Amino acid sequence: MKTNSITRKFEKMLRLDVTYTDHIENLKITGDFFLDPEETLDQIVSELTGVAVPIQKDILLRETRYILDSNKAELIGITVEDIINTLEEVTQ
Amino acid sequence: MKKFRMITFTSFNAFTNMALDEAIMEFVRKGISQPTIRFYGWDPSAVSIGIFQGVRNEVNLDATKAAGVDVVRRLTGGGAVYHDRLGEVTYSLIAPLDMFPTNIIESYRVICDDIIFALKELGIDAVFSPINDIIVNEQKISGNAQTRRNGILLQHGTILYSVDVETMFSLLNVSNQKISDKLIKSVQKRVTSVVDQTGASMEDLQKALVMGFKRNREIEFGDYTDQEKSRAQELVKEHFKNDIWTYRL
Repeated sequence: MKTNSITRKFEKMLRLDVTYTDHIENLKITGDFFLDPEETLDQIVSELTGVAVPIQKDILLRETRYILDSNKAELIGITVEDIINTLEEVTQ
Repeated sequence: MKKFRMITFTSFNAFTNMALDEAIMEFVRKGISQPTIRFYGWDPSAVSIGIFQGVRNEVNLDATKAAGVDVVRRLTGGGAVYHDRLGEVTYSLIAPLDMFPTNIIESYRVICDDIIFALKELGIDAVFSPINDIIVNEQKISGNAQTRRNGILLQHGTILYSVDVETMFSLLNVSNQKISDKLIKSVQKRVTSVVDQTGASMEDLQKALVMGFKRNREIEFGDYTDQEKSRAQELVKEHFKNDIWTYRL
């Protein structure tokens, strides 16, 4: 099992703390970004927890975008791509 | 146009300040309280963190404890802020969402324009810096944060009156990456204050902010209701002073 953290500056800061084996065991997404409604972040974390490592970026991008769309959510300061690219980086 | 209640500057502890915002949101949503603009300070000094921030990542908890500085998690996004007891004015604007632009950045701009007007009254030439800052010559003088819940908008923000950067950065864990990205060599040069810019007093700043927020709104001065104060004390216990909330990330 590996534990890794990464902080990246986009328009706002994003930090991922990940514990993973051949899949993501635990994920924490933090930062000074804005997300409306805020509860959407819990759904994104839930969706990304348990996925196989190495991650399949295209699938995760699509699924994360779907969560935002279905919640009519607005993510400001970071993008879905930022989250998934950083997740790929932190699990490499 | 709906009339706003304006509550003049009063200081509370961090937990009560955040709980009052949430309590007023609840009562505005129920139609019991008017849309509200409140000005306040923080006593004792405090650090507030954004709703998505990790408290241990952002705050030097040993330093805040040693200094008697409270730590509270906000309802809003954005970054960690040091609220000096004597060094800032904080405002909250709480109103039905339909009174403001749907676009989040535009709604920030509308409200921040009132602060920019106030600073101009004091001779400070400030501009809105999206997403959520007001800057003077590239230095931040005001940070703002917003949440929208159940049809109600809450925007709160700080206007730095004087800034004790050494204390501020002894309490906050500031990312080196964030600093280098902004190409600013010294952390101290990232922020400025009313005192740095002009000889205005704290009272002058408070008066200017009242003018700024009044200029495009129908206002009547008021106070917190007993219901709001009572609900705020419940929320302090249930929520803002509860470690499950503060340390959840």
